[in-house]
Amino acid sequence: METFELSIAQRQGELAVLEVAGYINNEGGEAIAREARTLLDAGCRTLLLDLHATRIINSIGISLLLEVLERTIEVKGTLAFCCLTPSIAKTFQIMGLAQYTRIFPDRAAALVELVKVR
Amino acid sequence: MAEPVRLRLVLPRVARAELIAGDAVEDLGRRVDFPRDTLAEVKLAVVEACLNALEYGAGEVEVELTVHPDSANPWIEAAVVDHGPGFDPGGQPRPVLAAKLHARRKRGWGLELIRRLMDEVEITSRPGLTRIHMTRRTGGA
Repeated sequence: METFELSIAQRQGELAVLEVAGYINNEGGEAIAREARTLLDAGCRTLLLDLHATRIINSIGISLLLEVLERTIEVKGTLAFCCLTPSIAKTFQIMGLAQYTRIFPDRAAALVELVKVR
Repeated sequence: MAEPVRLRLVLPRVARAELIAGDAVEDLGRRVDFPRDTLAEVKLAVVEACLNALEYGAGEVEVELTVHPDSANPWIEAAVVDHGPGFDPGGQPRPVLAAKLHARRKRGWGLELIRRLMDEVEITSRPGLTRIHMTRRTGGA
């Protein structure tokens, strides 16, 4: 049932790509927040969360993603997402997340833009 | 005329119990060819209502799901009931992202998501009984 998995799929300079699979609830959100904190503390400034294998994020998971966003803003970094399902995209739109993050249709498009930024 | 399909669940108080209800939404909706993306939104709304009930409620958390297949626009009806102390549905502030980003408490998105993902939401709450009833049509929200 929606097993959660998190891995660092790519690390390139100040950019890290986190691949997230499964249900993002309190546990999943905490795992992402932990990994993001470690990466930001190690000097990463652009975090891309690839959600191609995530179909649902609950409001507790969302609040933990906001912690990641807050920390990213503090270090003048960029938080980005790609491969959102339509329902996750709608959730982000309801929250107004696009104002503070970058959202891309797929990882390739995200990398082209985010590598340019750094 | 196709009859509505109904399902009633009592959620166990175990980790991820809310997904049992969410998965049931998907399963029922697929049986009446409810669009997949719409179903995902209904699933999240039901998951959020269940999370509220499991976290703040007491006693059994009951979920009633009904799919109405027999019109041009089939619709889904869901109700989540708990027996906790209740709350004032009108007294919950709407979350604002800019404020949440600087707040210690970043939670409080559940009711907002439910209201925005569903077509109609009715919340009745008093000590001992809280009921969130919501509906969604295929072309709605």
